Amino acid sequence: MTDVLVTAVPAAPLLGALAVRLPRTPRGADRVSYISACLTAALALAASMLGALHDPAGIRGSWFVLDRAGAAFLAVIAVIGWLSASASGAYLAHAGKGLFTARGARAWYHTAFHLFWAALLALALVDNLGVAWLAIEATTGASALLVAYTGRRNALEAGWKYLVLTTFGLAVALLGIFILFVAIAPHGGALSTLDWQTIARRAHVLPHETAVFALVLILAGLAAKIGWAPVHNWLPDAHSEAPPPISALLSAALLPTVILIVWRLVLTLGLAIPHRLADHLVLAFGLLSLAVAVPFLWRPMPWKRLLAYSSLEHMGILALGVAFATPLATLGVIIHIAGHALAKSLGFYAAIPIQRHYPHSTEQPSRGLARLSRPVGAAAAISLATLSGLPPSPLFLSELLILLGGVAAHQVAAVAIATVLLALGFLGLAHALIETLAGESRGPRWPAGRTVRLTRRLTIVTASGLLAVTIGGFALVAANAGAGLMGGLA
Amino acid sequence: MTGALTWGIVVSSLAVVVVRRRLTAIVLVAAQSLALGVYAIARNPHVSPALAVTATVLIAKALLLPVLLTVTTRSARKERPLTTEPPALIRLSVALTVGLVIEQLIPPFGLTDASIEHAAVGMLALGISVALVRRAVIFQALGFLIAENGIYLAGLSLAAGLPVVIELGLAFDLVVSVSVAAAFAAKIHEHLGSGDTSFLEALRD
Repeated sequence: MTDVLVTAVPAAPLLGALAVRLPRTPRGADRVSYISACLTAALALAASMLGALHDPAGIRGSWFVLDRAGAAFLAVIAVIGWLSASASGAYLAHAGKGLFTARGARAWYHTAFHLFWAALLALALVDNLGVAWLAIEATTGASALLVAYTGRRNALEAGWKYLVLTTFGLAVALLGIFILFVAIAPHGGALSTLDWQTIARRAHVLPHETAVFALVLILAGLAAKIGWAPVHNWLPDAHSEAPPPISALLSAALLPTVILIVWRLVLTLGLAIPHRLADHLVLAFGLLSLAVAVPFLWRPMPWKRLLAYSSLEHMGILALGVAFATPLATLGVIIHIAGHALAKSLGFYAAIPIQRHYPHSTEQPSRGLARLSRPVGAAAAISLATLSGLPPSPLFLSELLILLGGVAAHQVAAVAIATVLLALGFLGLAHALIETLAGESRGPRWPAGRTVRLTRRLTIVTASGLLAVTIGGFALVAANAGAGLMGGLA
Repeated sequence: MTGALTWGIVVSSLAVVVVRRRLTAIVLVAAQSLALGVYAIARNPHVSPALAVTATVLIAKALLLPVLLTVTTRSARKERPLTTEPPALIRLSVALTVGLVIEQLIPPFGLTDASIEHAAVGMLALGISVALVRRAVIFQALGFLIAENGIYLAGLSLAAGLPVVIELGLAFDLVVSVSVAAAFAAKIHEHLGSGDTSFLEALRD
């Protein structure tokens, strides 16, 4: 029964991708997409509940592993996918034909969206490094088309850059996976050679040099997909040029889910490598990402570009949590992923009315939103305040847990550097928050049209979600739940 | 695998760095895939289903992907050589330097034939080099195909090959990636009147 339910999770959006081709009108395609999204989210949340309520060892099926950490990721992907599907109709109503022919533009958007979502859901579940690579590569094809959906020159540039950089990054990762495969099965072997548990079991017999080499190649390749500095060049461009619902899915679901694969890799292949080198490599990516992101948070940026650099910062924070690898840090990572996903996606959804009413928003910072539209201003305020880590944001709690986890892991120097960078990032975003809300703005107030009403609804949903994550986070801390989160790999 | 075949494939990758015409480059990469596919058949695919799948995938890749890429470039048949590209000798020097540096950095990783290890790593490096030094959209897509042929070359040296699921998944991903790249190439031509990616540098902070 569990096997059927979990298999239905990625299968539902695959069927949805086909179903959205059936209606003859764009509105019909929107409706079918939304129904399919509701079904997918319901299935994914049901599977996620199963994983969360199961014992810490997790559920292992024919092709999947569902432990508590995986369940949390699955829930995040389900919620963000559903929210993005809900927001897509309002965006598409004013988006024009873009990259595709006018007749099929909207159906193509929904098809690519559901394919992208299916690959993401599968990625959170797969129990095999090779299949995880295939799922990551599959996300690239669909999402690159979506990044360039508007068909504008900048969008084409962003989509092409994303396609080339991540595809070559993944080719490097593939060589690393091949080397690992040969090290475990020198004459070739079955697919199960690359199962997470097989890698963990065989780690102690792998030659150190080969294991290090494989790990470095895989990490470097996946870092290009996550957008960790210094291989982050595609990230600000793709996030700022993609349609806002897709930016939300990229930032809030794709990047963290690839970090889940890195996390599982570090916990399994990392056993073959002495001196916690795997942790140190991830730590280096994390600190570098923070250091690269923070100066951009201080500069006046177009709204979505600001959110993109904030994604770089938050992927750096997640890297720190994975690298510290203590129960506190692990718990911090899970809370951070949920809080970041909700806050960041709300910020991107707010970009829908911003783009609609302020056509220069892709080139210039958005100012005075509190005067122009209170619902949009409220969405921007909640998003930026949460992302900056302002208490009682769940990200304040998660960042505190990750830093305390770092102290517990005796990484005091890294914690000190990260604390300074986080403080600087907070000040940068706080300044951006004030300017965005109260800065000088021109023009009349925005009418409460469809996009503004949508933003109001999504603000209520995500703000409730953020409150739930904060309360849930404190409950998890009280229950000392960090230790059993990655039980599926034990 | 014979040394001549291995190094012939590497030399054809180097040729993609220097050739002027897109069609020549497409034919060279197709010939690589075909040679690898024929070699997989010659290794007696009855021994391993994975080898049969590899052979089928490589031959299909040799036949289908060039057609896709050629159709994409048809609209820009009369395009002049890209002036923003460095001269061929400099391109070759950069590619050789990148290839040799990466070769030196990567230790042996356990294949029985060391020359195949070198060739596979070299092709990955050359694929990345092609994307770095060539400005045309189609050449950058070919760079990915070269890099992936390097992985196939290494996979063919294993007695049992790579797992079938991985082979099929790779083939699927390849078709998707190249189709998306072809769609981008067509749109970029439509927008810029050229496939020169150096015109795509407006997004900077």
